[in-house]
Amino acid sequence: MTTKPKTYKVDKMVELLKPKLSRQVVGSLVGCVHCGMCNDSCHYVLSHPDDPKMTPSYKADQLRKIFKRNFDWTGKVFPWWVKAKMPMTDEDLEKLKDIAFGTCTNCRRCTFNCPMGVDTATLNRIMRGLLTRVGVMPEGVRVVSKDSWELGNQMGVLKEDYVETIEWLSEELVAEVEDDRAEIPIDKPDADVVYTINPREVKYDPRTISNAALIFYAAGENWTMPSWGWDQTNFGLFSGDDVLGGATYKHLADKHKELRGKLLVISECGHGYRSTRCEGPNWSATDQDFTMESSVMTMLRYVREGKIKLDKTKNSERVTFHDSCNNARSCGFYEEPRELLKEVVTDFQEMYPNRTENFCCTGGGGAMSMSEYTPRRLASAKVKADQLKATGAKIVVTSCHNCVDGLGDLIKHYKLDMEVKQLVDLVAEALILPEKPAVEEPVAAAAAPEAAVEQPAAAESARATDGPGAAEDHPSLEGKKILVVDDDPDTLAFIEMVLQDNGALTVTAANGDEALEKARAEKPDLITLDMWMPGKTGVDVFVELRNDPEISETLVCVISGRPEFRQVIYDRPVKPPEGYLDKPVAEDRLVLNLRKILHLRRKS
Amino acid sequence: MEQPESSSLLHIAEVVHWIALAVMMLVYTLRLMWLFKFKGARDRQKPGEQGDTSLRPALYSLGNVAMPWAMESTRKGMGFYFSFIIFHLGVAAGIFAAFISGLYPPFLETAVVAYIFTVIIGAAFLVSVGRIVRRIVRPVLRLISTPDDYFSLFTLTVWFAIGVLAMLYLGGALEGEGYMVAYLFATSFFLIYVPFSKISHYLYYPFTRFWLGRTLGHRGSMSTIKG
Repeated sequence: MTTKPKTYKVDKMVELLKPKLSRQVVGSLVGCVHCGMCNDSCHYVLSHPDDPKMTPSYKADQLRKIFKRNFDWTGKVFPWWVKAKMPMTDEDLEKLKDIAFGTCTNCRRCTFNCPMGVDTATLNRIMRGLLTRVGVMPEGVRVVSKDSWELGNQMGVLKEDYVETIEWLSEELVAEVEDDRAEIPIDKPDADVVYTINPREVKYDPRTISNAALIFYAAGENWTMPSWGWDQTNFGLFSGDDVLGGATYKHLADKHKELRGKLLVISECGHGYRSTRCEGPNWSATDQDFTMESSVMTMLRYVREGKIKLDKTKNSERVTFHDSCNNARSCGFYEEPRELLKEVVTDFQEMYPNRTENFCCTGGGGAMSMSEYTPRRLASAKVKADQLKATGAKIVVTSCHNCVDGLGDLIKHYKLDMEVKQLVDLVAEALILPEKPAVEEPVAAAAAPEAAVEQPAAAESARATDGPGAAEDHPSLEGKKILVVDDDPDTLAFIEMVLQDNGALTVTAANGDEALEKARAEKPDLITLDMWMPGKTGVDVFVELRNDPEISETLVCVISGRPEFRQVIYDRPVKPPEGYLDKPVAEDRLVLNLRKILHLRRKS
Repeated sequence: MEQPESSSLLHIAEVVHWIALAVMMLVYTLRLMWLFKFKGARDRQKPGEQGDTSLRPALYSLGNVAMPWAMESTRKGMGFYFSFIIFHLGVAAGIFAAFISGLYPPFLETAVVAYIFTVIIGAAFLVSVGRIVRRIVRPVLRLISTPDDYFSLFTLTVWFAIGVLAMLYLGGALEGEGYMVAYLFATSFFLIYVPFSKISHYLYYPFTRFWLGRTLGHRGSMSTIKG
């Protein structure tokens, strides 16, 4: 009998596994009795009942086999007796990659349903980490990890783009509330709150930053945003790479200390919260010597202390709440968002099961960046879709950006009549804005914290009537020529109407060839581009456009209903699009993002 | 009913039985030393908002075995949970009977006591047969099961069967000490085999549950914390 030669990567994996073997991990490796109790807790199992390979214990067994073969007596002496086995070839490693990354979101639901206390999700994460460290990982994980290492954030946002976006949002907000004190401070030392965000907010959803800034302004908070170490997300949690996880965490922690901030607040993000609060100190082997909290807790504190006033009748549609796995199961953070929700909505409907028993949004564990597993992910989302449907809600609220994308994706796929929002959006919507909130200066802050209380509302009405683009002294869409490309006549008409209402001159194209022809002929300032069109796709159009010297510098904002193909366009060997929006896109979001793109071009 | 005086074979079985117990204890000790050779992970984060650094969540986690309502998997699978209880009561009763028969023979010679043990071990035998069927029939369990899983379950089932016969013999319903001799030898086999098999899970159980409770309690996600 011939034995297959072992790839050097396998030896490396065993070497890397050794330092990860804590008592707790070994307990989970030897504790499984293969009872199958974890089976029905997994959304992959429930959605793929005929595929036994979806069961959590099978996934964890992949690591268990390696462990037993190398570290356990029985497995060393009688490997066949306990199915101890080493992967041998690169093909074997590819299969392990498919299991660890493509059939589990590390949601930890199985862990909570194991009578033995086996932490299967942690074992799967360790397997991911071993594979990642030897270079076996989905392409999306590779790209995002690279961006995290090179640029300090997982979406490849350049420092100047980040700063300019924040400055632009700051100008917008100041104009909107007509108060200079509403500006967004960057790198202000000794602030009471240092606010960090998810790069998704800068890139795709800047409204959440504006909303948070508005709330800080209304509460009279002495706050700042850092120019570096601002990405509170941490791809190390998903890739299993503790080294990346520790380094990313240190960016935040070090910048926070450099600014001498009193409290680090992170925007609504499940894995960011878990990584910063719980795992980062472990990965970086440093004790957490600063205080941090989720912005949900901050907003709730403002309400409790009377720093902000809310009018819940502004959010009168039925709302349900989705617990992020990382928040609920790994951080015990699930009552605070509910308390806050009760202050901002009139009709709250609990989802079942909930809290630590809630099902994953199916976009967790980095699944949104692994487009090769999208069909499986969306199939597994059936459980979540049924859960959402049963609530009868029109809005599902979640305190996690990953969940926003995951839920948004499944809502589209299963054609549910609901939208996803975050608490920051609802609070900003319900905010009763004081005329001139007392913004605390660092010196005055300690002396008179009570000063930051609400005053008669007046600016609120101005804000309510001012739509995006209403501020006259700020760049709007006025006079901008925009080429709208979409094969769906309804979408085309909608986008055209919104842009015209905001002063833009529009040109339309219903397919790829027409789009290129009009782009060359009309030389628009900006193109909104659908990705999925019959014939020449948006990707083809985009690449041709970028390779045509005459129009290669045209600003492009992709607007697509197929977020799973987002990575496809970013993987092209050309300059990436300036913006990306998911369909269906709301009017204010569309205008705000296009204005942001035009503004950044003007500055550059 | 009084049993006839022990034969030399029964005496040997009892001696072997105690030796097997000593071996088991030794191997278990080595197992625990091996487990504790690995470093203990420390959660460096500050406790969560609702976090509890006391032993309470760890103890709650340990008590999970007696709280079928605490986990969805047991709450929705009460049948399986109760079969689990019966199975493990059978194991406990069987081991107790094996030792008490040597230490204090009159205890099991009381017919009522012997019949109670017969019923418990007999019920465990039925559950064990059901578990073999379940493991063979369900594709998921077939996929994840190892030869050790099958062998452990099969030999336990045989042990339960012999145990029932031994209890009936002790209770006076059957004659022939061969049942008891076979039972003691079977128990001895188990005492030696268990530390090397999946059955040793009960050695790890207190630790895995304790550590999980400690970690999640520290973070505030153990349900007892929130009430």
